[in-house]
Amino acid sequence: MPERPDELFARVAAELEHPAPMDRAVDARVMAAVRAEATRRPWFLRRRTFAWSPAGLLMRAAAVAAIAVGATIAALHLRSVPPTSPPDHTVAFVLYAPGARSVSLAGDFNDWSKSATPLHPTASAGAWVVTVPLAPGRYHYAFVVDGKRWVTDPGAAPAPGDDFGKPSSVMTVGRS
Amino acid sequence: MTGPTDRSAPDDAAIVRRVLDGDVEAYADLVARHRDRLWRYAFHILRDREDAEDAVQEALVRAYRALPRSEPDRFGSWLFQILVNRCRTIGGRRGRRERVQVADEGALERAAVEDLSERHAWREAIAWALDRLSAEQREAFLLKYVEELSYEEMAEMTGDGVSALKMRVKRACDALRALLEGVTRA
Repeated sequence: MPERPDELFARVAAELEHPAPMDRAVDARVMAAVRAEATRRPWFLRRRTFAWSPAGLLMRAAAVAAIAVGATIAALHLRSVPPTSPPDHTVAFVLYAPGARSVSLAGDFNDWSKSATPLHPTASAGAWVVTVPLAPGRYHYAFVVDGKRWVTDPGAAPAPGDDFGKPSSVMTVGRS
Repeated sequence: MTGPTDRSAPDDAAIVRRVLDGDVEAYADLVARHRDRLWRYAFHILRDREDAEDAVQEALVRAYRALPRSEPDRFGSWLFQILVNRCRTIGGRRGRRERVQVADEGALERAAVEDLSERHAWREAIAWALDRLSAEQREAFLLKYVEELSYEEMAEMTGDGVSALKMRVKRACDALRALLEGVTRA
């Protein structure tokens, strides 16, 4: 009698349940990194302080200006203004997404969380914005529209081959 | 086996709060509680021991950095989501290197001799078949059948829609069935 399909997959899953063990050195490396992190100024405090700095406020104003330009020239259904990267590394992410109920930013800087970094609607209809403080480096990210639709940033370079085919963009934040 | 969402959630939450209160060493308890499950997924999805170790390490360190933004009651699910995305990033960034062994060879050696060749062949067949799935199909199959997530949980983990995930699992199953058909008949 042929094997039922579910039985086959159950057998495969059972075989995969106990792989060769992970090297215990990984645990030690994790805790070494965690202890090193703990000795630095907490990341979330740096972020919060930065968000309310005068430079951050200036960037919010710059972002609104960018929205106005982007919304005016928008001829496509969905487009964005490329992120800007001032010397203080506050980056404004702007997406023109008319009809969207929510937009968020997900990337390797927030562990691809769909809820950690929401964009805010602006006075320009259809334009959404958020400013994010970022350390120098290369980042992959995408916008998430209405909690489920992943959208690349049309104003930034695509990240081919990343995330197993999930669309994402790539951006480099320069060093000051 | 249970899904990641609520397994030992109250204990996780208590440990998370200790860490947030400044007890850095308590994070080792969270590492110990979740390492094996993280490793199992990373190992099978990336098919490379070094990449899988990097993925687990990066996920755990990133989770620590972002701990103030976590929901302590859902720590396990949140941590696993970070791992899934790290694996996607690493898998896309690095070319596949040599294939890893599928299972614990020590356990294999403890098996009865007459059973050894059959089990070894089965494991080799699974490794061969998994290598032939697309990364998306392998991810969908592992989340559904090995991690035993619901489609709703899978959607939350991956950001993909339920209908797309169902199709991906179906295609993965169709491919595995075809690939393993000869093995199961043997």
